[in-house]
Amino acid sequence: MTELKHYFAPTSLDQAVECLKDGDVTILAGGTDLTPQSQAGRLKIKHTLMNIRHIPQLSGITLEGKEIRIGTLTTITEIMQHPLIRQHLPVLADACDHFASDQIRNAATLGGNICNASPAGDTLIPLLVLDASVELASMPEAKLYRHSMPLSTFFVGPGKTRRSLCELVTCIRIPLPAEGHVARFHKLGTRPALDISTISIGIAGTLKAGILSNVRVAFGAVAPTPVRASQTEKALEGQRLDAATIEKAAEVAHNEVKPIDDVRASAWYRKEMIHNITKRILSHVAQA
Amino acid sequence: MSVAEKKPRVIELDSLIGKRIPKMDAPEKASGRTRYIHDINLSGQLHGKILRSERIHALIKSIDTSAAKELPGVHVVITAADIPDQRPIGVARDHFPLKVGRVRSERDEIAAVAAETEEIAEAALKLIKVVYEDLPVISNPEDAIKPGAALIHPEPHGADGSHEHLKQGTTIAHKGKPDNVAMTFDYAHGDVVRGEAESDVVIEDTFKLHYVTHCCMGVSGMIAEFDASGNLLMYSNTQVPFLHKREFAEYLNMDPARIRIIQPPIGGGFGSKLDIYPFEVICLYLARAAKRPIKMLFTREEEFLASPTRQPVLLTLRSGCKKDGTLTFRQVHTLHDNGAYTSWGATTPFVMMQTFSSLYRVPHCDYHTAAVYTNNPYAGSFRGYGNLQATFAIEQHMDMLAEKIGMDPLAFRLKNAQDSGETTGQGMVFKSCGFKDCLTTAATRSDYTRKFKENAANRSKPGNIKRGVGMASMLHVGGGAKIYPSDGCGTILKMDDFANVTLITGASEIGQGSETVLSQLVCEELGLPISAITVVNNDTAITPWDVGVHASRTTFIAGNSAIGAAKKAKTKILAVAAKKYDCAESDLDLRGGFVIRAGSGEVVVELSKLLRNLHFQDKAELVMTTFYYEPPSVHQDKGFKGNVSAAYAWGTQVVEVEVDTDTGTVRMTKVTGAHDVGRVLNRLGIEGQIEGGVVMGQGYALTEDLMIENGVMKNPNFRDYKLVTAPEIPEMDISFIESMDGEGPQGAKGVGEAPSICIAAATANAIANATGVRMFELPFTPERVYRTLHGRTPKLYWKPWRAEQ
Ligand SMILES: Cc1cc2nc3c(=O)[nH]c(=O)nc-3n(C[C@H](O)[C@H](O)[C@H](O)COP(=O)(O)OP(=O)(O)OC[C@H]3O[C@@H](n4cnc5c(N)ncnc54)[C@H](O)[C@@H]3O)c2cc1C
Repeated sequence: MTELKHYFAPTSLDQAVECLKDGDVTILAGGTDLTPQSQAGRLKIKHTLMNIRHIPQLSGITLEGKEIRIGTLTTITEIMQHPLIRQHLPVLADACDHFASDQIRNAATLGGNICNASPAGDTLIPLLVLDASVELASMPEAKLYRHSMPLSTFFVGPGKTRRSLCELVTCIRIPLPAEGHVARFHKLGTRPALDISTISIGIAGTLKAGILSNVRVAFGAVAPTPVRASQTEKALEGQRLDAATIEKAAEVAHNEVKPIDDVRASAWYRKEMIHNITKRILSHVAQA
Repeated sequence: MSVAEKKPRVIELDSLIGKRIPKMDAPEKASGRTRYIHDINLSGQLHGKILRSERIHALIKSIDTSAAKELPGVHVVITAADIPDQRPIGVARDHFPLKVGRVRSERDEIAAVAAETEEIAEAALKLIKVVYEDLPVISNPEDAIKPGAALIHPEPHGADGSHEHLKQGTTIAHKGKPDNVAMTFDYAHGDVVRGEAESDVVIEDTFKLHYVTHCCMGVSGMIAEFDASGNLLMYSNTQVPFLHKREFAEYLNMDPARIRIIQPPIGGGFGSKLDIYPFEVICLYLARAAKRPIKMLFTREEEFLASPTRQPVLLTLRSGCKKDGTLTFRQVHTLHDNGAYTSWGATTPFVMMQTFSSLYRVPHCDYHTAAVYTNNPYAGSFRGYGNLQATFAIEQHMDMLAEKIGMDPLAFRLKNAQDSGETTGQGMVFKSCGFKDCLTTAATRSDYTRKFKENAANRSKPGNIKRGVGMASMLHVGGGAKIYPSDGCGTILKMDDFANVTLITGASEIGQGSETVLSQLVCEELGLPISAITVVNNDTAITPWDVGVHASRTTFIAGNSAIGAAKKAKTKILAVAAKKYDCAESDLDLRGGFVIRAGSGEVVVELSKLLRNLHFQDKAELVMTTFYYEPPSVHQDKGFKGNVSAAYAWGTQVVEVEVDTDTGTVRMTKVTGAHDVGRVLNRLGIEGQIEGGVVMGQGYALTEDLMIENGVMKNPNFRDYKLVTAPEIPEMDISFIESMDGEGPQGAKGVGEAPSICIAAATANAIANATGVRMFELPFTPERVYRTLHGRTPKLYWKPWRAEQ
């Protein structure tokens, strides 16, 4: 474990962003990524380790107008069990139900999953198809400054995001889905529990009179970041979900992704699975 | 012992045998109170850490430890140069604990540090500078036997340019070898050429078995201390304390009598602690150099990198049978990847050939193994000891042969199965044999035959989920095994003045439940409740000799030994009571903590009262000593023939799966097992053994895969090395066939290894039943299954090869 120089546990957002000003800070939330990564020497803890868990503003799930706000510190367990999520965003609860194990879910935070920016991060795929945005806070001058960006533009590479070093993620905002909204998530791994996705797929849209519109498709573990699949979306937009459309969309998806070989699977298998699971999800949606 | 009721007149007959008795160490373990080696700290102790190689195969040009030595808190830093008396260690004595001049695998030990804290020791390792010169890496055993292949253990040149030539086929590799062959095994009975000529059907296939490792929850470790007189005390997780004492003495050039080993509770063994590993000897070197106790514990990553694995095997099997279903012959060639050094894995052919020669009646059998050096990790002993690998090949061929001749796979097996009374081609004698009962019980309880036919018929129907059912059977030693010159175990039994018993046994407890079973056997004999016994089993200065935990031998050997001691005590007690109450010894018995009248169960005297009286007289002599040596079994002769065990265990397992043809995912839904265990002693314990073994077999079949690429381990962690987790564990239906073995303690046989042996083979058969596609390579990960279903797995073929003698 890296030797710690400074440890800081702010109790307000202002204190936290103030501390972030000089940029030489490592943020600690649930620590389920940070601890193994720093122990393995893949991540070096910076001058200050800042534990944000004592900042009340960063927790909780609330309905704010036409948006659901999820504080960055909300744990995977809390999301999975929360009535607002179950009612409005069941696909997110479903993804949380395929996340790690109970022990990890109790510690792991949503903000940590987003900032860790793993291409296989399990909440990222449903968040992408739900049009989520990330809110960031900083203190460029003497005042707290907040701004948002769509999650689809947030990820840059494995472990890399557009968050600047002096910014803190405060919450995720998700618009309330419209009438007829359908969304599905599928995670494929070697085993049903405690596994990193070999691939994952999220599909969402509005289904009216058999026609799918506002289509969102996102894939995990097939690119350096979780990705939206614009060509697959196009192949589905405004279409009736019949066998031909489904097969075509699955083929477009297969050709659209460019995964790599690693210890979990080969690129070939990943592409095959993108095809087969896309097809399976769409068939389920069509039958529902 | 205090018995609450005052004067129960009659004690009913009762027995502990077959009852469900919780493991004696369970409350401590479940409540987190057990003190493992990790929890033991000696005052003044230092922490030891090992620097491992950064290269896979290279010459060590120089090692600079000066900066590490200067780090505050560092006491000693050692390399091979500091230990002039290093002796080669291991099964073939082919490697030095600290590597000399050359590294041959990723795990190789280059230097070691003892420091005030683990952190300082870690920091010191980073300051050691090693200069290497890379050598070509051999990571495929097939490359190791190619003419002109680079040598892993080349002969060194002396200063005068002379060679220390060794003959081909010699195993002492540290002196150098002219080839990469570490060990060979050749066995035959009958005449396979004739067998083949008599066959109506002949098939040949190559099977590939992968690396897996034990994944003990407790990582490896040792604490070593020399006292002021130079006596060595070790806290060690070994499975073989007595034999290892002698081996450690050899490595340290010291008198074995001055070595004492205490075994703290062990967090899992499964065979992994059967050999001595470099870290243990290095820990002793550090203790000797630092003159302080040294504690050395592996990290989880080190546990993956530097623990032994299951033996990976490439195997080509040729089998034949007649149209009527009679087996005619079997010919087997295997290439064992020995890794860089030799441990017990190389000797798995001892067990493998038994399965090939004797699981079924085969008139002609021919078996050959070459274990060859590579730059890969080395394999050790692992629950099942080669039997999973052999069974994987044989039992797939049983299904394939049955299909070729159009016979039901169960009927085909029954036709060739062994019976009691049989002496096999390899000279094994089956006194008790419940094999056919195992086959029919497992088949009936799982409704095998109906499901087998239905699944095959359903294959072509639409839908991505295909169901399959498959069976496999196994034969394993169940009454000890003649591996060492003898297979003995001693017992000391002490009875105190409250009729409490202390059982001091040579048999180690490594989590398998032996202390509970031994207690049960003793209490059964003495008519005492299980709460009346204390077991001492972990200190070589106290316990009598034993040859260690292996070969599913403990219940059988140590059990018989413990019963012997209890019988002695009983004879003594009854003699005293008979004299005192003026009756014949045969009129009396022990039951429920009392001396009773044998016929009526009527109480004569409370046992504790009798013993208290006895203690106040002279010549109480309530300490009994006994030993048990295996009943006449023999060493194998040069041709590997002989009856090596006093009893043999049998089992059949039927595995049911659902294969998702869209993803290749195989879900194991049910395992129906029938095991010939001789007799059930502790029902709870044996169910636990079987269930745990099934899950271990499931991991071997489906998820576990230690990936080695060019000698580099790709997944030394539990994220990417996938053990089976709770939701995947199948439903289990376990039956016990009680063949009441004449030699076994209360009729029991060993069962420790049996349950993991058949699962991979039966799963392969189930996948074939579900999909019509055969899997010849493990593990059945979704991707491998999917590839094979889509015809993208080229047919494996390894051309049989034999090492020159
Ligand atoms: C055994 C195990 C199993 C796992 N299984 C899964 C799985 O199935 N699916 C999955 O997706 N992940 C899995 N993970 C990864 C991990 O649990 C998740 O990514 C988790 O959501 C991380 O959250 P955390 O709060 O623990 O983050 P931390 O480890 O505290 O932080 C992660 C990163 O985000 C940064 N960070 C955290 N919060 C903020 C913030 N508010 N603003 C700016 N930066 C921030 C940290 O500095 C750090 O770089 C697993 C991890 C383990 C150890």
